[in-house]
Parts: sequence; structure tokens; C-alpha cells
Amino acid sequence: MIPASFDYVAPQSLTDALAALAEHGDDAKVLAGGQSLLPILRMRLNAPSVVIDLGKVTELQGISDEGDHLVIGAMTTYAAVLASEAVSTHAALLSKAVATVADPQIRHRGTVGGALVHADPAGDVGAPVLALDAELVIAGQGGATRTVPAADFFEDLFTTAVGEDELLTQIRIPKHTGWGAHYEKFVRVSHQWSIVAVAATVRAEGGSIAEARVGLTNMGSTPLRATAVEQALVGQSATEEAVRQACARAADGTNPPSDLNGDADYRRHLASVLTRRAVLAAAGA
Amino acid sequence: MSAPPPRVTHGPGEPYVGTSVPRVEDQRLLDGRGRFLADLAAGALSVVFLRSTEAHAVIESIDTTRATDMPGVVGVYTGNDLPLARDYIGSLHTPDPGFVAATGFRMPEQRLAILPVDRVHYVGQPVVALVASDRYLGEDALEAVDITYRPLPAVLDPSASLAPDAAPIHPHLPDNEAGRIEVEFGDDVAADAVAVTVEGTYRIGRHGAVPLEGRGVLARVDGQRVSVWTSTQIPHLVRQGICEATGWSVDAVRVVVPDVGGGFGTKANVYAEEVVVPVLARLTGHDLVWVEDRQEHLVGSAQGRDQVHRTRLSVDREGRVLRWEDDFLLDIGAGGLWVAGVVANTAIHLLGPYRIPRVRLRGRAAFTNKTITAQYRGAGRPEACFALERSLDDAAGRLGITPVEIRRRNLLTAADLPYAQPLPYRDGVPIVYDGGDYLRCLDSVLELLPAETVERLAAEHPDLTIGHGVGCYIEATGRGSFESGRVRLTSTGGFEVASGAASAGQAHETVFAQVAADGLGCSLELVTVRRSDTDLVRHGVGTFASRSAVLAGSAIRRAAEQLLDQATGRAAQLLGVSPDLVKSTASGFAAADGSSEWEISWADLATACAPGGAQEQLGPLDVVEYFHPETVTWTMGAHAAVVGVHRGTGAVSVLSYAVAHEGGVEINPQVVEGQVIGGVAQGIGGALLEQFRYSPTGQPTSTTLAEYLLPGTCDVPDVQVRHLGVATPCNPLGVRGAGESGTIAVSATVAGAVEDALHGLVRVSETPIRTGPLRAAAEQIRREGQ
Repeated sequence: MIPASFDYVAPQSLTDALAALAEHGDDAKVLAGGQSLLPILRMRLNAPSVVIDLGKVTELQGISDEGDHLVIGAMTTYAAVLASEAVSTHAALLSKAVATVADPQIRHRGTVGGALVHADPAGDVGAPVLALDAELVIAGQGGATRTVPAADFFEDLFTTAVGEDELLTQIRIPKHTGWGAHYEKFVRVSHQWSIVAVAATVRAEGGSIAEARVGLTNMGSTPLRATAVEQALVGQSATEEAVRQACARAADGTNPPSDLNGDADYRRHLASVLTRRAVLAAAGA
Repeated sequence: MSAPPPRVTHGPGEPYVGTSVPRVEDQRLLDGRGRFLADLAAGALSVVFLRSTEAHAVIESIDTTRATDMPGVVGVYTGNDLPLARDYIGSLHTPDPGFVAATGFRMPEQRLAILPVDRVHYVGQPVVALVASDRYLGEDALEAVDITYRPLPAVLDPSASLAPDAAPIHPHLPDNEAGRIEVEFGDDVAADAVAVTVEGTYRIGRHGAVPLEGRGVLARVDGQRVSVWTSTQIPHLVRQGICEATGWSVDAVRVVVPDVGGGFGTKANVYAEEVVVPVLARLTGHDLVWVEDRQEHLVGSAQGRDQVHRTRLSVDREGRVLRWEDDFLLDIGAGGLWVAGVVANTAIHLLGPYRIPRVRLRGRAAFTNKTITAQYRGAGRPEACFALERSLDDAAGRLGITPVEIRRRNLLTAADLPYAQPLPYRDGVPIVYDGGDYLRCLDSVLELLPAETVERLAAEHPDLTIGHGVGCYIEATGRGSFESGRVRLTSTGGFEVASGAASAGQAHETVFAQVAADGLGCSLELVTVRRSDTDLVRHGVGTFASRSAVLAGSAIRRAAEQLLDQATGRAAQLLGVSPDLVKSTASGFAAADGSSEWEISWADLATACAPGGAQEQLGPLDVVEYFHPETVTWTMGAHAAVVGVHRGTGAVSVLSYAVAHEGGVEINPQVVEGQVIGGVAQGIGGALLEQFRYSPTGQPTSTTLAEYLLPGTCDVPDVQVRHLGVATPCNPLGVRGAGESGTIAVSATVAGAVEDALHGLVRVSETPIRTGPLRAAAEQIRREGQ
């Protein structure tokens, strides 16, 4: 479990990082927190000739409040997100999901941006970012910057809208202040990836659900929105039976994998159970 | 809930055996001063192994030319390049002739090549060894070794392997049978006596030890000798394996065991790497080290379990067992040097702690193209226990009595014990369970965890449907043939203790010191237990099969007593008094004759027998003892579990667990309790999570800890342990083995509790218990509002 030999570049700025990417092209891999990339290198599943470490690009770290949005730098660690009062106040769903990622050691190294670009469908940040209607800011060559809605960001298994010579720089999350939130994760052992998880955030008004956002983890090759559930929840009272009915078809339109941890049918079943639980918890019921 | 077991503390003048003195090794291990194999590697070159990527294939060619030219490479070696006297490692156990005669036991010679040159038998098998200046360059160079394989069909199912038309896995063994046993006794049962007969097929999944520390080997050549440090439980058998393969004399090989981070049987094995590294050290003249990484471990270290039992159990109207039949298969993978042990253990422990008048058992071990196997904690006992206990639960259900009740009616009681079975043990000695009262264990475990616990936990966990399960086990412990113990007076008046039973973390440094201090009548602080080293004790067997406390403990006790005896005579001589006036004290000896008093310390004695001392000619005070038990001693126990099955997902949580066991004298009660609790944790892993799986072509799919699920702290509840000590006359300490007590009955107990939780809607007949199939039953119970 030792990686093949590679050159290591540690740019100090976003500009330098993009220049390094341009220079090395598809021979390069970008290192964020390393919690996925390093095992991949150590198992020799990938052998890039250059590793570009973004650890010293401080402009990509940190969380700021921009009025109606929170802006999270791509290199912000899970632990920093978890410690942020701004996130727990205005994007509680992300806090709740991040709290379930692996263990404290990994949360102190792993980054939100790294996880999003790695795009493992069993990872825990895709579904809340999708459910919160976040926008992803991508920097390209020559100072170009584009903003992609989360719904267009995830393209396939381990594939996103970030091009080979681009870098994800920011996650812009519209504030969901006052929304209840819950991330319901089903695992066999607590530090593992989700077998299925559901991210739900709900705005309640007088005991009923005014708005709901639901994201599904590991129910397909990308994080998914359960839009039918979201619509069915609007106007429902936050009671077990009403929510159960609205969540019954959480797995509609999904294409979950079958693997050692469960077959697709079991995952579809889990999706409806976990969605109900997540919504009820988010609604404070 | 009962209180935790009392912590017996040690008072002045009292024996140390029986007291929970703190583990002396913990300070060193917990503050990072342990010295494990990898900590010794400085200065050594790295050995890396290229492992087979094929489950079953002919090796058409191996080309090492490119790799040899890679940076940092010292040499690249195939099996043809190794100067070996014999290219395989022999069986680690030869069955006793009396046992063979009684059971028809047979096993062919296995010849799995140390580094194969013509054929590979499992993914992970080492094929090429490469020596490089460091591991980084070594792994780079491995990628330049070119092997051409011609794949053969992989055999992955033991039934298919033993089918008459199956292709042979090892060409010299055309029937693929690795071992066979048959046990039959008792008169046939009259048909009208039988109230219920239950038949079942029980599968125990393939899982294994996965210790915190993997394996590793370091070899250094010193003149004519090779010293080998290896993370093993059995240094003397490793030495034997090296010598048999190389033709070297046992005096030319020293095997040393550093701190070991867990063994559990996977390190009670002799591996190809343990031969190859010293051979290459001699060939290259360099110090060499190989440290197994986790990926290698999950495909290349010996695994366990993997059995299928086809059973038939008949009981009368009262639930008394009349007849018990089991035809079982063991999948030992491409090889198993302990096949005799696992096959025989399974058969013998199928007899259980019960009165069973009529028994018919047949077991066969099959080769397949999976990773090699060894004796993983329990080694046949958990599998046997699962088959018998599950059958008892089934019969109880059919009769309409509880699982507790059927066991109550069949367990051996004080009136039955000692209880002879019409069968010899593996050592050829007729089996006699030397227990006290097995029913008492069941009663005790129910006191710890009564069935009524279900109601309380059901109220606490509305999302779960709750069930209670019990399981009983028996365990032969302290198997021979012998173990060594050495006690030596040091030059400063302390004592060094050594044994062939190597520690893999089991507190040997503490418990052997307790035993020696009692034998010497000295203070515990004077005793240091050395790590196992074949230069310290020339002969030994090792740590496995719940044997170290029984055998090594007894050998050390006798060595200590002999040393005390010799020392008493020498003290009398030095003091010029009669030996019967000399009394031992915590620090040495004292004598008094009414008018005068004398004292002599252990340090004075050490000085006296050193060169220039008054007793130089008597030589050092240094005693080696070999303890040969007449036969095994039996530990029995009962487990109880309360589990919850989630109504929505089918996920199983073990909420509460208890073990009551009839062990012997406890050298250190806290250490025994730790052994039992750790055993339960490993048992829960096997019951619910752990499985080495393979694709249809024989590719292992549990190759990282993301696929091979180990239980975490959240998966293991607090375990209550009650010890019901019954001393055994089988050894001078009165101890029984306890290393496997925690593991054996867990799968059976958890399975019973899961069935109870699901109101019998599901039959649990395999491990690990899959949650998917449970959820439909849980859902049905939820719908019916039960």
C-alpha cells in the first residue's frame, strides 16, 4: 500500500494552482484533504505523475456570510464546517450531514470541496448541497469563473462539471434560516460510507410543512433530489402518518446500486424509511 | 442487573494468583513504548511479495528481467531461486493414533508451495519475492515483474469441490479432500420415542481475526545463525517450519517474538513469508524485513470458519435429545496446516454440554481456491455450537417449549459430572468432562440477563422489535502435548520467566509473573516475564487453543517451585543451618534457631552462585520445566443476548449481553473478564458483520475495511461476565482455558435472539446474519401491531 512515484507541487495561490493544472493536464491529480485520493494512490488504483496539493492555497479556505448566501471555500474542512455557527444557523442540513462523515480524524483533514469533486455517490455532502440548492463556483484558465447549480454539477459516478483544467473554489448556499434539518444515515458500522442516507430540510408553519427539500445519498450514480416527496410534503401536517404517505415513493426514479451492503430493492425500501425519519426529525415532530 | 464481578486486590502475604493485579505491560503498550515488528525494521532492506491475481491458474512464465533492473532492487526471486530442502510447509499437528482409530480421521499431506512456480491456488498467494532498498522502490519494481497466467476454473464451493467430477485443485490430491472424520455412538432410537425431528442446513460464513497489527518478519544473519523476529503466536513451530523447509539445524535458527498486536489464531500458523525472508537474508547477506499491509492481510493471512452443517436432531416429548446427526463440510481454502485441529474440534464440540445418547457425525474438509485457513479463535467450536444450538432452538419451537427450557432439560448437571463420552479426545485419552454443574451456568446467565429484560428494552426502543436468546458451549482447553516454562534467578536477585507460549497481548507478562511469584514466594516486582525467544527456551509449542494459562502457567509454576526448593537448600548451606529451619520471605530467606536469626537475600544467593561465589560450582539457579497434561480440561459456559431488530430497516443491534462460564481458578480475574468480553466482541463481528466474500471467479471482494466490516464500539454492548470457578485436578494451578469462551456461543445466541425478536417469522441459519431478509418480518410485526 505505497503509491507509485509522483512529483509534488504545492502552489500558494489559486492562480498558481490553475497554472500548475494547465501545465500538467491529465497527468495531474488535485490533492485536497487527501481522504479519498491518498487511499486511491496507495492502492495504486491511480498513478498520476504530479500531485497538486491545494493545502497552501489559503484563499480557498473559510466560511463567509454574504447576505442571503453563505460562501464556503472549497478547501474548508468538515471540522471547520461543523464548528461554524453560520452554517448551523443558515444551512443546518449541511452541519447535520457533515457530523456523520467518518470520524473526527477524517473530518479534520477532509474538505467539503474535495468530497464534492470526488463525487462518490456514497459521500455525505452531495445530497445536502443538492437539497439546499447550492451553487458551485468553478475557476478556469485565464481568470474565467463560472457558477453551476448543484443540480447540474453532478454528472455521473465520480464525475462532475469541473473540467480537467478547472478547480472548484466555492460552494454558495442560499440561507435556509429557520429551516429544520436532519440527515438520516444508514450504515452497518458508524464510520463507514452511507449504505443509503437522506438529507431533509423543512420550513414549518403552524404545525404543517410549508416547504421541504430532500436529497438522497447513494441511491444512484449521483446524489439525487426526491422532488416528488418534496411536493407531496407541502401543506402536510408534520405527523407520522401524513409524512409516511408523502415519503412512500422516495425511491421513485432512483437507480440504486446492489453491493455487499444491500441490494437495490433493500436500498429502495431504506430510502422511504429513512426519508420519513429524516423529514419527521427535520420538522421537529 | 447484578453488580460487576468483585475486583480482588492483593494483600501482603497473600498469593498473587486469584487477584486482579494491574497488567504490567499496559503502561508500555499504552504510552507507545511497545516494540512491534515494524519498530525493529531500521537498517533492514525491504522484502515485498508479488501475489497471485488469479484464484486458480497455471503459471506459464515469470519474467523478472525488467524488475531486476529497476532502481533500488537488490534481487528478484521466484520459487526456483530459493535454496530449499522442501518447498512446502508441513502440517502443524499429527493426529493421535488412538483418535484416528476411533474416528476414522484421515488427512492427506498438503504441499502448498512456499513460492509456487507452476500453479497458483488463491488470490493473494505469494509468488515472487523482491528485495529492494526500501518498500517504495520495492512496490514500484513489483509492477515490472511479468507473470503470464493461464486461468483454470476456480472452485469456490466445498460441495462442488468434493463432487466426483470436480477438477483437482492440488494435482497430487485428486479428490480435493483435505480431511475426514466420522463419529458414531449409541444405540439407534425407537421410532415411537421420537416426538420431533428437526432438520437444518447451517452455514457459518468465512471470517477471520483481522488483528490490529498485521504479520511481519525480520531476519538477520549472524555468522552461521539466522535470527528471525516474527509477529507470531508459535515461535517454536515457526522455527520448525523454517528448518524443515531449509534443512537448517534448529541450532542455526533463532525465532524471537516482539510485542504482538493481536493474533487470534491467524498468527498461530507458519507462513511462506516466514521461510522466504530468512532464506533471502542468508542469500543476500542483508538484514531483511517484510511488514504485511492491510490489503495483503485481507487476502494473504489465514482466515477461518466457512462451514456448512446438515443436521438432524430428534427429541422426545419432554424435549430430551435422543439423537443428533450432522454431516458437515469445511472449506479450508487452498490449504490449512491445522486441518486436523479444526476438523476434530468441530466434531468433538458437536457433542455439546448435554446428555446425548445417540450421535452420528461426519465431517469432510474440502480444498477450494480461496485464501488459506488456520485456527481462528474457537476453531470449529463456534461452528459446532451454531449447528447444535440452532437445532435445539428449532426443536424447542416445534415442541412449544422455550429455548431455555430445552437446554435445562438436557444440560449436564452436578449429578452427571464428571461425564464420560464414548470417544477419545484428540490426544487419544477418553473424553471426560471434568466440570462441576453446567446447568448452573444457564441459571446464572439468566440471572444476569433474564428474559424479562425484553420488556424493559422494548419500552426504551419503540423502533425495535426485541428478542432474547441463549446459547451454551463446551470447550476443551489446555491441549498438549506440552509447554515450556523457565524461571531463572538474575544476577541482581530478580527473576526472569520465559515460555514457549508467546503473548499476542493476553497479559502473559502479568499472569505468568503472578504464577512465578507465588511459586517462589517472592514479591511480584522481582519477576520479569521475557518475550518468547527460542534461545531462552529451546522447546515450546505456542499460544492458541486456550492453552497458555493451563500449560505454560503450570510449567512456570513447577519451575518456580523447583527453583525455590533448590534455593532453599543453597540458602541453608550458606547460612550453615539445617534446611528445615529456612523459610522463604518476600525478598529471600530467613532462618531462626531460637537464639539467632539469619537472613539471606535473593541477590546474595545470586552472588554466591556467580563465578567467585561460594556456590559457583553449583551453577546458576535456572530451571526449565515441561508440563505435559494428561489430557484437556473442559470449560463450559452459557451466553444470553437481548437484541433489537429495527422495524423499518431490519438492522440488528445487540442491546445487552451476558456470559456465565465455568472456568477454573482465575489467575487474574480482570484478565479473564477482558478475554471473555473481547471474545464476545469478535463473536458479534462474525454474527452480524464480518465476511470474506469472493466473486464467482474467485476474486476476493472484501479487500478493504470498507467491505470487511469490523464491529466498532457502537456495535458491542457492555458485557456482563460471571465466573463460576470449578478448579480442575488436571494441572497444578487448577486453571481452565478461557481465551475462546467469549467467542464460541455468540453467533448461536444472537441468532436465537433475532428469531425471538421476529416472533419466529424468520429462521436464522447462516452468519453473518443479513439484515435485508429480516426487514420484511419486522415490517409484518409492525403492521400487525405486535
